[in-house]
Amino acid sequence: MKLLTFVKEALEGRKLATAGAIWLLIIVVAGIAAPLIAPFDPLEIDPIARLSEPGTPYLFGTDHFGRDTFSRAVYGARMALIIGIGSVMVALLCGGLVGMLSGYFTGLGHVLMRMVDVLMAFPALLLALVLMTVLERSVFNTILVIGIVYATTTARILFGMMLKLKNEVFIDAARCSGAGHLSLLFRHILPNLLSPILVQATFIFAFAQLQAAALDFLGLGLPPEVPSWGNMLAEERIYITRAPWLLIFPGVLIILSVFSMNLLGDALRDRIDPRFKDDIAGV
Amino acid sequence: MIAYTFKRLLTLVPTLLAASVLVFLFIHLIPGDPAAILLGDTATPEEILALTRELGLDRPLWQQYVLWFKNVLSGDLGRSLFFDTPVLQVIADGAETSILLALLTMFWIVILGIPIGIVSASYKGTWIDQVTSGFAMLFASIPTFWLGLYLILIFSVGLGWLPSSGFPSVSDEGGWTNMRYLILPSLTLAAPNAALIIRLVRSSMLDVSREDHVRTARSKGLHPARVAIKHVFRNALIAVAAAFGFTFAALISEAVVTETVFSLPGIGRLVVQSILRRDYPVIQGVILIIVVLYMFVNLLVDLAYAWLDPRVSLS
Repeated sequence: MKLLTFVKEALEGRKLATAGAIWLLIIVVAGIAAPLIAPFDPLEIDPIARLSEPGTPYLFGTDHFGRDTFSRAVYGARMALIIGIGSVMVALLCGGLVGMLSGYFTGLGHVLMRMVDVLMAFPALLLALVLMTVLERSVFNTILVIGIVYATTTARILFGMMLKLKNEVFIDAARCSGAGHLSLLFRHILPNLLSPILVQATFIFAFAQLQAAALDFLGLGLPPEVPSWGNMLAEERIYITRAPWLLIFPGVLIILSVFSMNLLGDALRDRIDPRFKDDIAGV
Repeated sequence: MIAYTFKRLLTLVPTLLAASVLVFLFIHLIPGDPAAILLGDTATPEEILALTRELGLDRPLWQQYVLWFKNVLSGDLGRSLFFDTPVLQVIADGAETSILLALLTMFWIVILGIPIGIVSASYKGTWIDQVTSGFAMLFASIPTFWLGLYLILIFSVGLGWLPSSGFPSVSDEGGWTNMRYLILPSLTLAAPNAALIIRLVRSSMLDVSREDHVRTARSKGLHPARVAIKHVFRNALIAVAAAFGFTFAALISEAVVTETVFSLPGIGRLVVQSILRRDYPVIQGVILIIVVLYMFVNLLVDLAYAWLDPRVSLS
């Protein structure tokens, strides 16, 4: 509930960011209700209607298999949500925990943060590519790989915040009144980190979309049969001159969603506790 | 400054060693016998046995690592399965394209990112600032390959101004005019990174402009443009310089995609093709070189940062 008021306050007077938030709501609804909204099965092939132009009954036209682009785009919204939320969860669970524990237990932190440094020696997409070479192409592995890449930055950011927070007077007070490590970490410190974590999550969600699309494009992301915006672009790129709509619709969907998420993240960051402002880089 | 350089070099060693262990383990992470993986599908059992001996794959893992590390130090990164030439040779063949692409991209980033960022900060809150900041964020939200495809569609297919793919070496016929092959790829690669630099220049200039020395400069009646460039931008440049390590990493990552879109014979496309060809020795070699290069760039950035801002090396 507190987070909701935080979002509401952050969006006050920011028209573009509010429009972005509304667009994201539409994507969420489309993703959840995909089977109800999509007029066709996203995998259904209609060979006679190959590469038909946008119109009726195919609102966004069809691809080179004769599949309905609109239905695939709607299911693509679902995939975008799964990838985004999944990557955020992996990054926050792994990176967040490592960062918090490292900041709290400094001895452990020396070891863990050096390991984070080593992983950060690999440029992001390169690390994802290497991991995907070893793993099989699947939705789960794509999420895992993108999540791990952003877990490193998340760990570093939370480590920095933890160092600032743990010396605050109210933490000392809680410790003096007998609070244990667990209680200090999760009851006293974590609630203060929720809003910066939310900001970080919006940026990871946005980056994850671009990374997933890049992996799909290189043929190393989601399996080719999965209807995602990245796969739609990857499969239809050779038809760019014959059927430009095939690349415009998924491309614009990715751009609008990432742009909206970045706007939202920016608005939230401006509203955040000034102590943490410098920690979160974002776009 | 010398003490700081030395300290910074010392912290680099363990990270570099740990990263090299990860790169070494890469071959072992792939399911299957490493010797069979390194030799590909056509290998005979005798060849596999011979390579197993040569690389000491029958010995404990740490001995294998020491052997591998010794080979790396003497410049031996193994042989490519696909080309059947030394990995170092394969990588060197792609270096010209990638280096020229990176330099041209950096040029765009600097001449677009810095002036636009200064203008954006100078007109903070006005429509000029809103438009430039908005566009910067929009460009940071576009997938690079999508932008590349549409630049090809407009400038190569539509207008016919620039070539759409490939890159003949500048030592081939055409000489430096062959650089025109790199104009679209470098603009594609520059777009998201220039956008980041615009936002960074803007925010660091706004940070600096709140400081006392800037208020003094303003109140003694200096021209606003002079204050912006000489007093604000020079100090804001420190934060921008620090971001170049990050930009370098982004360039490498996005070069993989851009070189694929424009079919450039560079190292980025080599990575993707080697992954698809299962040419593991090349993948391992490229990653090692990129990681070392990236650490070296970060070191230079840190030293430049300390040199620009003496407070860093003293703390």
